[in-house]
Amino acid sequence: MIPILSVLLLLPIASAGPAYLVLGKSRKAGLWFTIGVALIELALSLYVFYSVYASAPAAGSYAFTEQYSWVSISTFGVNYLVGVDGLSSPLVLAAALLTVFALVGSRRLVDSKEPAYYALILLFEGAIIGVFVSLNLVLFYFFWDLVMIPMFFLIGVWGGDRKKYAAMKFMMFIITGSMILLLALLAAYMGVTPTTFDIPSLAGRIPAGIQYLPLLASFIGFGIKLPVFPLHSWLPDAYTQAPAPVAVLLAGVQSAMGGYGIIRISIGLFPQASYVWAWGFMAVGITTMFYGAFVAIVSKDLRSMFAYTSIAGMGFVVFGSFASVASGSPLGMEGAILQMFVHAFTAGALFMLAGYIQKGIGTTDVSSLKGLRTLIPRTSTLLVFVCAAAMALPPFGSFVAEVLVVVGGIAASPYTAFTILVPVMIGGYLLWMIRKTVLSSPDGGATGTDMQGIDAGVLALYLVPLIIMLFFSVLVLGPAAPVVQHLLQLVSH
Amino acid sequence: MEYILAAVISLAAAALGVPVLQVIGNRPRVGAYLSIAAISAAILFVAANTAFGGTVTSFGSLLVSDVLGDLFALVVLSVTLAVAVVSLYSAHDGPSVPSYYSLLAFSGLGMLLLSYSADLLMLFVAWELMSLPTYVLAGFDKKRIQSNEAAAKYAILGALSSAIILYAMSLTYGVTGTTQISGILEKLAGQPFNPLISVAILLFIVGFGFKMSIVPFHMWVPDTYEGSPPAVATLFASATKKAGFVAAIRVVLAIATVYSLTPNSAFSLANVLAVLAVVTMTFGNVAALTQKSMTRLLAYSSIAQAGYILIGFSIFAYSQQTGLFTYNAMLGMTGSLLHIVNHAIMKGAAFLAAMLVILQLKRGDLGAYNGLAKRMPITAFTIAVSFLALAGVPPLAGFWSKLLLFISVINTPLAWVAVAAILNSAFSLGYYLWVIKRMYLDPGESTERVKEPFWFVVVFAVLVGLIIGIGLFPQQVISLASSAASSVFH
Repeated sequence: MIPILSVLLLLPIASAGPAYLVLGKSRKAGLWFTIGVALIELALSLYVFYSVYASAPAAGSYAFTEQYSWVSISTFGVNYLVGVDGLSSPLVLAAALLTVFALVGSRRLVDSKEPAYYALILLFEGAIIGVFVSLNLVLFYFFWDLVMIPMFFLIGVWGGDRKKYAAMKFMMFIITGSMILLLALLAAYMGVTPTTFDIPSLAGRIPAGIQYLPLLASFIGFGIKLPVFPLHSWLPDAYTQAPAPVAVLLAGVQSAMGGYGIIRISIGLFPQASYVWAWGFMAVGITTMFYGAFVAIVSKDLRSMFAYTSIAGMGFVVFGSFASVASGSPLGMEGAILQMFVHAFTAGALFMLAGYIQKGIGTTDVSSLKGLRTLIPRTSTLLVFVCAAAMALPPFGSFVAEVLVVVGGIAASPYTAFTILVPVMIGGYLLWMIRKTVLSSPDGGATGTDMQGIDAGVLALYLVPLIIMLFFSVLVLGPAAPVVQHLLQLVSH
Repeated sequence: MEYILAAVISLAAAALGVPVLQVIGNRPRVGAYLSIAAISAAILFVAANTAFGGTVTSFGSLLVSDVLGDLFALVVLSVTLAVAVVSLYSAHDGPSVPSYYSLLAFSGLGMLLLSYSADLLMLFVAWELMSLPTYVLAGFDKKRIQSNEAAAKYAILGALSSAIILYAMSLTYGVTGTTQISGILEKLAGQPFNPLISVAILLFIVGFGFKMSIVPFHMWVPDTYEGSPPAVATLFASATKKAGFVAAIRVVLAIATVYSLTPNSAFSLANVLAVLAVVTMTFGNVAALTQKSMTRLLAYSSIAQAGYILIGFSIFAYSQQTGLFTYNAMLGMTGSLLHIVNHAIMKGAAFLAAMLVILQLKRGDLGAYNGLAKRMPITAFTIAVSFLALAGVPPLAGFWSKLLLFISVINTPLAWVAVAAILNSAFSLGYYLWVIKRMYLDPGESTERVKEPFWFVVVFAVLVGLIIGIGLFPQQVISLASSAASSVFH
């Protein structure tokens, strides 16, 4: 039997070096090589996703597990333990799919030092898939930190005017967060006898009394990545300065790492403390949602507007997850899992479009963008559709996700129904932005170069999973149900 | 034990023989190659001892051959070898080369004997044999005033620390009537509070602390590291510093197993060490942040790393004196020993890379590192990897030792040390990352390739390979550290 998850996470890491060498020799061959690796990844992750859907692992168990001893001395042991369940399989798929999209998009948007660029993207893909499939805390932390190293260089070398500032700020925040996270993971290790780092053996066994500080530390660690409200200030710089395809990966899958960690580790390992503090974390989630939406309204730049929209979108994940913890109803957390999946594609598509607008018009300043409809018709058509997805309009799956989260919130307390205002606000400013930029008439003499047909085709593909998720949300929600059920059982004990 | 003897003989032969060769043949290079061969042979003998020798005491129990000694001997001799190899390129060509290599071999011999010392007198002789040649080596660039300053400062403070150690030894002898460490432990076991012994323990910490570069006994470190020839600074940071740690383990931690510092639990040895650990790492990191010169930055970072190593010592002392948390103590000592090994590799790589920059670009301030990735890509990559490893970023070697150290105190009353250490780790990225930013993101004054000599590249490749290799497959090194740690428990 093929160790499919190990192949998934090691193939891109191992291909990074060869990709660098091949690209150095021939651009065309190198691009095919890189995209070929990403397509193999996509095929494998589709297989994993489908298998998890077809036979969802029972509550508290995992599919495709592999276990080897990594470090083992008499007093200390770390296993290489990987596996997937209904929480991680959609995220693995999203990571593989977005990597393909980002690579295709990079062809025209990135033109310097290409060998290193593509090698780093592959490294990033392997690391982030590693985060989603690791079931051992040390392995998880390994990949968690490995993600930031390619990202630092991707922002710092290929970014916009203030790239160095953005890269340093990104790295400082992320590394501080991961160090604080490490404290939580170590406390979890020492919390049980016999000591272990394996998540399946830790879940539900850490004594309630020592869960509180580790929960807080892990929430800060994951919250910086997500990001939640007071810990978000690195994000607008990083998202706006990163080259568009990298921003796709940042907004699409890197933020999902935070949400994944909150559900898998913060709630999964420290359930009783999560229950006690659920209201506080829900408040953090709601604040993040409103804060993101409010700041997006006053943003003058498209990319900054999209960055804050993404913050608001990830606020739903925190809110929904802890609403379920508080109420015991699975809806909120299931919505949160779906939201992470669909947010990957809405946020990814938004940043990709911003990249094409920057390239075609030369600016992403909302007040200087006029008459995009006539200047760059393909881009603006797609912009309208993607914005519709971002404001959670049917026929896009984001509608289902946000409805589930809000309903899950109402199950916890009817007063949280006012969170329905967030999609309304997002809809409001996105429509205003579309009216100003797409539907206005261009200034005299203004010109623009539209994206090519093939790029438009690839961008339209971002919308396919979103539409599928409206009609077949069971693809994600079905396997997610036993995971949520398992977590809620842990909480109620 | 015969393997250790063989190692001692090969080093001694090199130390004594190389200057003689010079008189006979006047071929400085030959002496250098012979010293390198002798140090390599010594490493092989120590490795053989690790593989085949059990725990043996010999020479009237002056020396003990155990895994702890093997571990330290391997580390210090490997560093000495790396220093010897890259010294082929440094500026000293001519008649002084043989004496340089002779001094290096003498210092290596001292560190080798120190690793296996089981008697206070042996320990002191080895300590001096290690230290005296390094005073000369620090001043080897005799035309450069900073080198003279480095040597003077180091010699004076080194002599002071030797005197303090000797005083502590005489107090210990006065109370116990023996200089054998095992004999001392027997006499001290079950003794009530005795101020003389407590003073002696504190004096030992101070004396060894100079070499370990723990705050507040670190004053010589930045000036000496900066002023010495860079290869010699590597020796200080990666080898003689480790010798301080092995001496502390052999003496202070051994005494901690049978004797507590004071009856008052607030002034226990564990707390003293924990406070020293936190003060050292915090001071080192804060001071490193403001440095303008690379070698000074590395010196302060080296001070900070000494603080992390002390974490394992403090949990060991805590567990020995309370009888609690023995499991944590084992983890902590394993972590300390692993961090000593890792630090030698990581800091060795960083120092040698900095040395190459000084050699090739003729300047050592941080400005020289702008755009280094284009000019000296291999050197820049070495610095980047070693800095990330020093900060404890996985998948590099430093991660595992920090993981073990932090874990060992997280559920004990010393948990505040773990919190302080983790915050320090995050903080230290401030300066590590800044240098990486300079090298990779900032434009340099030119983009012309600068030559990176062959043997430097070989040494870099070995060190970077070790950093990544230990990071990915730590099993062998961790189990070696673990068995060395178990020989600390009596």
